Amino acid sequence: MNLKKYVALTKAGIMENLTYRLSTFIMIVGNMLYLLVAYFLWKAIYASSGTDYVNGMSFYDTLIYLTLATALFTFMEMYIVWEIGRNIQSGQIVRDLLIPMDYRRYLFWSYSGSLVTHFVFTFIPTFIVICIVTHGAIPFGWNLPLFMLSVVMAVSINNSIDFFVGGICLYTESIWGINIMKQVLVALFSGATIPIAFFPEPLKTITLHLPFQAIYNTPLNILLGKSGDMAETFTGLGFQLLWCVVMTLISRGFWNFSIRRVTVNGG
Amino acid sequence: MKKKNFRFYLRLYGKILAQDLKSKMSYRADFIISTIGMIATNIAGFVSFWILFRNFPTVNGWGYYEMLFLYGFSLVALTPVQCFFDNNWSLRMYVRDGSFIKYCFRPVNLFFYFQSEVFDIKGLGQLAFGIGTLVYSWTKLAIAVTPLAILKTILFLITASLVMVALQNAAAATCFWITNSFYVLDLVLRFKDYAKYPITIFTPVFRFVFTFVIPIAFIAYYPSLIILRPDDVGVLTWISPLVGGLLFYASYRFWMYGAMKYSGTGF
Repeated sequence: MNLKKYVALTKAGIMENLTYRLSTFIMIVGNMLYLLVAYFLWKAIYASSGTDYVNGMSFYDTLIYLTLATALFTFMEMYIVWEIGRNIQSGQIVRDLLIPMDYRRYLFWSYSGSLVTHFVFTFIPTFIVICIVTHGAIPFGWNLPLFMLSVVMAVSINNSIDFFVGGICLYTESIWGINIMKQVLVALFSGATIPIAFFPEPLKTITLHLPFQAIYNTPLNILLGKSGDMAETFTGLGFQLLWCVVMTLISRGFWNFSIRRVTVNGG
Repeated sequence: MKKKNFRFYLRLYGKILAQDLKSKMSYRADFIISTIGMIATNIAGFVSFWILFRNFPTVNGWGYYEMLFLYGFSLVALTPVQCFFDNNWSLRMYVRDGSFIKYCFRPVNLFFYFQSEVFDIKGLGQLAFGIGTLVYSWTKLAIAVTPLAILKTILFLITASLVMVALQNAAAATCFWITNSFYVLDLVLRFKDYAKYPITIFTPVFRFVFTFVIPIAFIAYYPSLIILRPDDVGVLTWISPLVGGLLFYASYRFWMYGAMKYSGTGF
């Protein structure tokens, strides 16, 4: 069936990622070092605040939130915009567009291998270490399957945003500037840098109405059980689904419109 | 052949820089968008700093303006590495696809030639931001402005830059052995973010590690003490210019050693 070609791409991606073993090893060790530093940093910050809860977040909550946000980032960020940008500049995009597979699917699946390796080597170790360090501050129950569901939707939203930004690259032929702006906006408004619970009021409300918070904030709140009752959890998931559909439509529409006027130098 | 002295290299750098700027200016849209991207990055960094300190007014006895000083100090200190040594990020790609060999055939210093190829003008925006932050916090802290204080600041800024450049050189040079140095560079980049926190928040073990193993404490903390806490200055602050110089030289030797003995791939 159709699935076979996707699996082949994933497999190739995994193999490509594991070619440089020492580099994979450094990735794991580096991540652990980062966890340690984050632990001490936030411990000190909470120790000097004098209270156990700041904006309804305890030290463990903040630690889990931020480290898992970073771990989610490492496997969700596929650097697709860089790839599109490079392909536009080198002209390789012409070849990729001729492949008998939808360009967007092709890009996603050829990068899915790195998603899998990063999930196994970054996210899972982080999750285990954080579970041990915080002595079970993460509740185990319905929140876990819902968290996974939420992460899948987050990957989709992130991918849509990437593709939308990739579409802008078709006009500007600028990679670095567009990309860095996207990264910065997503990192700040998704809660990956600072938990959204810490944001001061007008900014917080604005942020909660943007699609970015659905990438990290929603899944992490579900995992931590911060969203209160079931009704609120499902509202969060509903919003994610809505953003999923809206962003997919927007990015697809924009890409299909823009690709008609692509100009390629060389190649 | 005439010995190539410092002036020769300075003139050569000027010539290469002029060509590089001309080629960048020809992509005007990219240039403008990149500049906006850089400004956005700095604003986002500042916003997250501000949100954090709205929630936690002091960190381990360090107040808002003192932390702002450290932040500004690290921004300025990180400018040279951004402007002059950005090509380190591409080193692993040149080594992987074999094109690094082209640098080996020029009758000038290999390290110099490689680094001179890219001048990242975006770093200047960061410099402006950093100086602004530094001046602002300086006035708010009501530190006396004397020629000696300014001289000290400049000397220790140079020191801090040298440490950061050294760390990045060493990280990039690992690709001569492990080919894909991305995770090493990424690790250094992440630790760089921790340079703006006072090292006293860490436990003695980590204080040792961040002073002697991964010396990020020399990027902002030890040098800033001389302005912020003149009574607290220890021997580590006084020897930091020496440490900066030594580390830079060591990283240069390490880089050259790798470049001399790596076995090329591809081609």
